[in-house]
Amino acid sequence: MTKIDPETRIPDPIELDRIEEDRLRAVAGLAPMRSPGGEYAGFDQVGIPDRPPQTEREREIYAIEEGEMLINMGPQHPSTHGVMRLLVKVRGEIVVDIDPVLGYLHRGIEKLCENATYTTVLTYVDPMDYLSTMHNEHAPAIAFEKLYGVRPPKRAEYIRALVVELNRVFSHGLMMGFLALDMGGLTPILYAFINRDEIVDLLSAISGQRMLFNFFRVGGVNFDTNDEFLSRLGTWRSNVMKNIEMNERMITDNEIFRARTIDMGTLSGQDAISLGVTGPNLRASGVPFDVRRAHPYSIYNELEFDVITQPGGDSYARYLQRIAEIKQSIHLIDQIIDKMPHGPVQAQVPGIIRPKPGRAYAAIESPRGLYSVYAISDGGPNPYRFRMRDPSFISLQAMPKLMPGRLVADTMAIMASLDPVMGGVDK
Amino acid sequence: MEHLRRPWPAAHALGRRRALTAPVAAGALVRLLAERLEVDLRHLWTDEDTVEYQVDAARAHDVLRTLRDDEDLAFFMLADAGAVDYGTGERFEVVYHLFSWKHPSWLRIRARVDRADPRVPTITDLWEGAMFHEREMYDMMGIVFEGNRDLRRIYMSPDYRSFPHRKDFVLPDDAADSAAAGVLPLERPETWDLTRFNQAPDVTFPPSDLREDAPAEAVEDGETLGDKSRPR
Repeated sequence: MTKIDPETRIPDPIELDRIEEDRLRAVAGLAPMRSPGGEYAGFDQVGIPDRPPQTEREREIYAIEEGEMLINMGPQHPSTHGVMRLLVKVRGEIVVDIDPVLGYLHRGIEKLCENATYTTVLTYVDPMDYLSTMHNEHAPAIAFEKLYGVRPPKRAEYIRALVVELNRVFSHGLMMGFLALDMGGLTPILYAFINRDEIVDLLSAISGQRMLFNFFRVGGVNFDTNDEFLSRLGTWRSNVMKNIEMNERMITDNEIFRARTIDMGTLSGQDAISLGVTGPNLRASGVPFDVRRAHPYSIYNELEFDVITQPGGDSYARYLQRIAEIKQSIHLIDQIIDKMPHGPVQAQVPGIIRPKPGRAYAAIESPRGLYSVYAISDGGPNPYRFRMRDPSFISLQAMPKLMPGRLVADTMAIMASLDPVMGGVDK
Repeated sequence: MEHLRRPWPAAHALGRRRALTAPVAAGALVRLLAERLEVDLRHLWTDEDTVEYQVDAARAHDVLRTLRDDEDLAFFMLADAGAVDYGTGERFEVVYHLFSWKHPSWLRIRARVDRADPRVPTITDLWEGAMFHEREMYDMMGIVFEGNRDLRRIYMSPDYRSFPHRKDFVLPDDAADSAAAGVLPLERPETWDLTRFNQAPDVTFPPSDLREDAPAEAVEDGETLGDKSRPR
């Protein structure tokens, strides 16, 4: 066997390229290239806007020290979960600072809703957080019912809770898949999409739409359950635990997955509350805040369940929290099916409503956290002000706290563990 | 301040909270607010699950700090912060929604802001998470949060000059007429050069078999084919 002399320096491939280029330049009679030079002159200024910084924080980000550089991840980066740009300041492979730049998907949904009737508002909010469409409709429906002074029938409340929990199962299931995908594991996302499509078929059987369900109405839901929905639900229920556990076996004990999530992006309960992080991310930091328990809406007071928490606060805890919540949601679905009463699914509400002047606030627990709506009526057919608080928009603020000191490759892994959806972030 | 160090109860001790038709509990909160904040009771208002309190914007920061730090109030979580525009000549309102384990109601703080000079002290020192809320309010409504160290636009581009959620900002079709519009020429449709769309292509189609024989009969009767197919 040949022994490698420890004194031998193995050249860097980039350096080899440079040596080769210099050789060719020497052949052509040119002087060796200096770096940075030629067309690369000023490359250390790339990404810095040619205007003075507007704020203290911006000055902090754009202050580049020796050995640091700015890179843009996105807006067309394949794993930014939508169209979003992360401005990353790096020192070599280490992230020094990070700044999310938003607005690439901004559609002004709040303004649109102020120009729509109360019933059509429920269609506008659908494409916001496109993985939890049912949840998006739930909070406005509750807020408008408070404004109009109508309560949905009991069966409508149960059907709402049923579809909302089904939505939560597939949303969390996709998060598990995307998290593994962002670490280079392709298989789990394929299985996650199989599970997701089963539920989407279920929900399209009851609502008539595949992704943007438009199922909720002021004072009830659009349709009652039908035979196709119930038979599909039975089939899904008999297989779902097996599928979830298979997905879990595939990811949870994977050595690479554990190495890249355990002790990564640790968020303390204190910081999470201060940053406004809610939902599974907050509970994974040990804080048992769940709107379904903390401020019960719909029928959650009648269902048996405990608020699940994880002690860790890292990416792995956030992943485990999702699995636990999927199982909890399936447990809730069982109870809802058992307890579902007979009766109408829609209160007598006209198509165009004119609630009395007033204000209403409704908050629900969406798969990404506290999603709330603040609606103001001035007596007209459309809301005077329609304000939405999207959980993934606020959770994104944790990124500058979690990233410094981590590798660039972990940016996406940690962001995927927060599970933001850009449709909701940009409203 | 003990509750700030660990402001959440243990999960197993959480139990089930009371159903929300609880005006009694809201009454307790109202009394407590009147005691701790020395509020005028005319500024308090309740509905089925919310207690509302109106303050001036200048006082908002102090009120929110008391609400967070007082051990009996203990509103540790900022659930929402958004702005409302009540129209020209009226006022802005910055609306905060708070949550506490100790009270079953949401607490809504409505801070009145002068519309001509909209300035509010920042609350990012109380909740770091208010940063994106405040940036959004600045971007959409043009409310300035004093002391916020990162007050720049969050959705619109940095060179955008309008505040789209104001009531006097008309939707983009007629944005140029809007009183709040400071939009750039690029966004004004009347400045677009659309002449290339008006030049109709000069193309003659070759006669096809279908064209030659199909509609002859119908035209003779003075009717169209569509009318014939319709049931009489």
